Amino acid sequence: MKKRTFAVSLISMVLALLLAFIGFAEPAAVRGDTPYKTYTVDGYGSTIETQTAYLPYTTITKIGEESLKGPTDFTLLDDGTIYILDSGNKRVVVSSPEGDLIKVFGQGTLMSPRGIFVTEDRTCYVADRDAKAIFVFDPEGNLIKTYGKPDSAIYGENQVFMPLKLVVNSFGTMYVVCESNTNGIVEISPVEGGTFLGYFGTNNTRASLWTIIWRAILTDEQRAKQLSNLPATPDNLAIDDKGVIYTVTRGEKNEALKRLNIAGVNMITPQTYEDLPAAVAVGNHDNAFVAAQSGYIYEYNNDGDLLFVFGGADDGQQRIGLSTKVEAIQIGKDDKIYVLDSDKAQIQVYKPTEFTDHLHEALYLFSKGRYTESKKPLSTVLEMNNLFDYANLAMAKALYKEGDYNGALRYSKLAKDLDTYSDSFWEIRAAWLKRNLTAAVLIIVAFVILVAVLRFLDKKYGILKAPKKLLSKVKEFKLVKQLGYVFYFMRHPIEGCYGIRHQEKVSLLSSNILLALMILVFIINKYFCGFLVKTVREGSFDIASDIGIILVALFLVVGCNYLMCTINDGEGKLKHIYCSFIYGFGPYLCFTPVIFLLSHVVTDNERFFVDFGRLFMLAWVAVLIFIAVKEINNYNVKETIKIILLTAFTILIVSLLAFIIYVLWSQVFDFLQQIPREVVYKIGS
Amino acid sequence: MDRNIKRILAVLVSVILLVSLFQGITPGVLGTKAEEPAEFNEHKKAAKSDRYTMYVNEDTLSLIITDKVTGAYMESYTSYDDGLANKTWWGAMNSAVVLTLISGNDDTKQANTFNDNITKKVTYTELGFTATLYWTTYKVGLTLEVSLTDSGLVVRVPDESIKEDGDKYKIGTIALYPYMGTSYLDQKEGYILVPDGNGALIYLDNKERRYSAGYSSMIYDTDIGFDESKVETLLWDEYKIVNTPEQVIAPVYGIAHTGDGIAYLAVVEDGAMRASIECLPNGVSIDYNRAYAKFVERKLYTQPTSNNSTSGSLHLTESERAHSDLQVRFIFLSEDEANYAGMANAYREYLKDLGVLKELETAYRTRVDFLGSDREKWVIGTSAVVMTRVNDIRNIYADLEARGVTELFTVFKGWQKGGVNNLPISKFKPDPKVGSAKELAKLINDSKAKGIRFYLYNDALRINPSEYNVTFNIVKKINKRKYEEETYKSVYEKFDWIIPSRTETLLNKLVSKMNRGGVNSLALAGITNNLYSYTYSGKNYTRYETAAAYLKTVDAVDKENDLVLEQPFAYLWGHTEAFLDMPMYTSSYIVEDTFVPFLSIVLKGVMPVYSEYVNFEANKQEFFLKLVETGTYPSFYITKESSSELIYTNSNNVYSSQYDVYGDEIEEYSKALSDINAKTAGATIAAHDMLENGVTRVTYSNGVKIYINYGESTAEADGMSIGSMSYIVAE
Repeated sequence: MKKRTFAVSLISMVLALLLAFIGFAEPAAVRGDTPYKTYTVDGYGSTIETQTAYLPYTTITKIGEESLKGPTDFTLLDDGTIYILDSGNKRVVVSSPEGDLIKVFGQGTLMSPRGIFVTEDRTCYVADRDAKAIFVFDPEGNLIKTYGKPDSAIYGENQVFMPLKLVVNSFGTMYVVCESNTNGIVEISPVEGGTFLGYFGTNNTRASLWTIIWRAILTDEQRAKQLSNLPATPDNLAIDDKGVIYTVTRGEKNEALKRLNIAGVNMITPQTYEDLPAAVAVGNHDNAFVAAQSGYIYEYNNDGDLLFVFGGADDGQQRIGLSTKVEAIQIGKDDKIYVLDSDKAQIQVYKPTEFTDHLHEALYLFSKGRYTESKKPLSTVLEMNNLFDYANLAMAKALYKEGDYNGALRYSKLAKDLDTYSDSFWEIRAAWLKRNLTAAVLIIVAFVILVAVLRFLDKKYGILKAPKKLLSKVKEFKLVKQLGYVFYFMRHPIEGCYGIRHQEKVSLLSSNILLALMILVFIINKYFCGFLVKTVREGSFDIASDIGIILVALFLVVGCNYLMCTINDGEGKLKHIYCSFIYGFGPYLCFTPVIFLLSHVVTDNERFFVDFGRLFMLAWVAVLIFIAVKEINNYNVKETIKIILLTAFTILIVSLLAFIIYVLWSQVFDFLQQIPREVVYKIGS
Repeated sequence: MDRNIKRILAVLVSVILLVSLFQGITPGVLGTKAEEPAEFNEHKKAAKSDRYTMYVNEDTLSLIITDKVTGAYMESYTSYDDGLANKTWWGAMNSAVVLTLISGNDDTKQANTFNDNITKKVTYTELGFTATLYWTTYKVGLTLEVSLTDSGLVVRVPDESIKEDGDKYKIGTIALYPYMGTSYLDQKEGYILVPDGNGALIYLDNKERRYSAGYSSMIYDTDIGFDESKVETLLWDEYKIVNTPEQVIAPVYGIAHTGDGIAYLAVVEDGAMRASIECLPNGVSIDYNRAYAKFVERKLYTQPTSNNSTSGSLHLTESERAHSDLQVRFIFLSEDEANYAGMANAYREYLKDLGVLKELETAYRTRVDFLGSDREKWVIGTSAVVMTRVNDIRNIYADLEARGVTELFTVFKGWQKGGVNNLPISKFKPDPKVGSAKELAKLINDSKAKGIRFYLYNDALRINPSEYNVTFNIVKKINKRKYEEETYKSVYEKFDWIIPSRTETLLNKLVSKMNRGGVNSLALAGITNNLYSYTYSGKNYTRYETAAAYLKTVDAVDKENDLVLEQPFAYLWGHTEAFLDMPMYTSSYIVEDTFVPFLSIVLKGVMPVYSEYVNFEANKQEFFLKLVETGTYPSFYITKESSSELIYTNSNNVYSSQYDVYGDEIEEYSKALSDINAKTAGATIAAHDMLENGVTRVTYSNGVKIYINYGESTAEADGMSIGSMSYIVAE
């Protein structure tokens, strides 16, 4: 949340580290252990424990002899000077890097200050909510300017001005988060005593499917009475030296942290986010930190991938490093994290560990495109933690850039980095094809010739007579015929249905066998398909629930459909409905193995074939099912559509009913259990 | 003129007032008198040892212990009244015995020897006195026996003397001389020794009321048999992010008045299994520093009445009082000994005298543990993830030998069929993918012949409900609900615990099978650092009974086998050849001012102590220095395969372990640490000082001094300059 000059070379980084040593006085004791664990999240979204990333270093409870009371914000300058907004005492307290008191100012001016920002030339901006103004103090602490509510019409006549947090860019333009102003961040230029430039980085409104449906049903009048669907106001913000603004907003899911460029466009959408972020800060390595009110601290890289989450809420255990109510976070030039806890009225300082230092070095080199150099710190990180996702990801990219595609494939698979995986796979496949193309062509040619020769020989000498005879004999088996009917049904659904209804072309047994096959195919495809199209994470299996879900769904659909058909003059019997549904899924059985095989050889470039194949197959299934419902019950199209809708509705009702019955019975059961127990314990004691 | 006289008078008066006030609040040094008086501050001489004299006030039973040589003394009551404490607090602060009483669901009622109506009979004995106390209002009573000998001041309450005659009040907790060594604000220079992890200090400076709570923890950890209705705060409602605090491994605490040169180490001798250590600095409720053990006689617990834990519950009191004598020994220390290192030395001598600490072989070894296999989910059931085979271990040993690392100590985890989480183990049957029983036995015996200590790891407490039937012999809490331990992992989500008698049966089975297979070395875990109350077939068992059962089991195994225990509680120390997983830190409570390696000082030189795994340390250099400071031997957790294989197993917290990565580090650590430890071989740590400039000086009994500088710049100590994050060994 402050302007900083970025370290442009490693040397300046080292200098910064040296600077750190002049920082705060050493804490009384070396604290090696932490009361919290550190986690990282991998490409699958699963959470993995990692080495401690930051250790509690020291706790600032007093500046000189001055105690703090409900501080709400602070700014840390590059040299280590800290400006603390001591809100409870309505003043600003300035601390030297050594922790000595430099000065105190703002008493008498500030009413309910909530946010502070200090520029490198030590001009201090304070956002005061109740004074409805921004106060600007010179480096000596004298009030030099006051900005009140912007008088521009665009700001909104009825819109109050209650500034909470602010940052200021190098031109003196203020970005202000205001209470109950949902238009976004208020952007004020210092010219002419404060010119309103407009709103910046407005959050999107969110409408769930449910709200959309609901709104469609309601009348205008009712709609007006509904809670208006306003965008959430950002809760806090930070600025980096390029003027890029970071905001955090509560309850915005993966838009909780945003990085807004000058135009106000968000550039990241982190997959791992905090629901109640309180503050954000920019690090020294293109990284960003988010502090949750409850004390969790998140570190993100440039792409919005989570590197670490650590810390936590102090539920009365009173352990160093846990927080009660976090309000602000700042990062020192030496990568130390400063976290302000307003409840504890203190700033907790965390220090990066050797592990984190290695990671930051890699981050820095990687972001500068020095991939080969970045491999060394990356390997150190990976040696210390084989499962660290970001390092796997970066390593995969570095190896890919170097042309080590097998290595890249391995690391990108660990990190679930589909892009690098696909690219490396493409390269490997191309190399393989190059090596084996001649052989492959030869094999195909040989195969074609072999078939031709066989055919010729068969025609002439009938050498395939015996196997052919055997085959036709097998085909004569009733069950085989019934199973084979699935191919006919796929091509001729109308006659197919007739066959099912009147000609006993299929049996329950054949349908059950098909169902079992489909389940098998489903499972194989789900767990063993190509890495790029896989939907479940490696190493996770849940077969029982897969089968269960399929069977329950089938039971519901067939049962409800039958119920609806019987009361709607449908002619279908339960058995016929069941069989026709199963046979309707024929294309799934036929195409999935092909898609499965294809999924192992495609890259992202050809992924279209897999996706299209899947879509085509599903469309076919849908048509077959529709025709089956129509033909088995002898409906016309309108009736069929009606019956399908009714079936869907019935499924909903049945599910609801099952749920209610379950809840009621478990209550009754619980109650019956409780009475004797309570009696026994009461008598027993 | 007049004015001047007045002024002078005023100054004089105020000086006198100040001086008297000052004297009033700083009792501490009696003045070195050759003869000790028969009476002292309204206390009567009651007993004496070689060095100390005990005075007692017959009215309140409060004590003063004086050092005959220096004249320094400690009181068991608050002699200075700051006028802020209310009657209840003031009563507690001046009492010999403080009780909390349970009446219905209320366990906050306090009774003490100062405020309440008690009938009291004091008889003097040769070594001290016996006081029979009876609280007439509450109809409870006990006999307090106090004696002073050369081995310390012993305060004892025999179990059979505890009486609960009324129906209304039952005894909840008992504290004996809770204000022993108390002081007001920063009136005394010194600290409280906290048995948190390895050890911690709370300085006796003015805390300015910053802390609302002190340190409070059950000796040998919390009792899972009682529902501590504590909800874990989980990250994203799923992941345990706050670490469990360190356990109280040894039943001790202490207070040192370093300015006066007097200190005591308190050892909870009887009743430790059901006692908590309370270390409360000034500012927590009152402005006095105090530390004491609180014995829990009866506990409240929550009894749910439905399966659905939210819907109904009753609060009940334990029906039977826990039966054990209660005894605390205060070992007084003077002058150079009156500090934490002195306390640690005193505790070591005490344990030696008791026969718990024996002369063990303590030569330096590097601990290299191996993980055999674990399981990951597969289409049906689970499939093995093999990390280290028997042959791999052989190869790793050969490689280490080639590097010159031969002094090794190994615990082999996950050797059993079905992997590390297939518990309990009752057969000597390695996982076929790891190796055969014969191969494993041969490896162990070959290693032993080469001087490598090799132990098979067995968690004798846990049972895996996915693999075994858990209908019988499972630990149920006092409220008769099964205790389930969450792993927060995906393959096996929960573990149950086995009751002690079943553990004994299974362990004996395993041991006899191992012995038949030619193996007799075992590393035990689980039962070594967990104690609990439980209920089985309608009967309640207390922690005393669990501890007794475990002690018997471990003793039987120890007689016939080589046995090491993982982070063992003090009551088991006599049965291990080494201390595994010594904590190097504390739980980081705010009230603790600094870490001290108390347990390390106690054990260094009498028992080999191995650290927790180096693999998972983020600050390797600092951890290395800690090993140097505490004389701890390093531990590594090693696998042949890359630990990324473990990603889908329950062992996914083993994120770095491959031998290819750690070979160099093992070599480095071994060389550096074996050099240092060769110099201190057989010696104990005599003194441990944290110097002003951040340098720590460790003085061994053979005169070797080690200086460690954790600071970020070079520092001077005793004329030597020690580089940043480095150490020097001086002979």
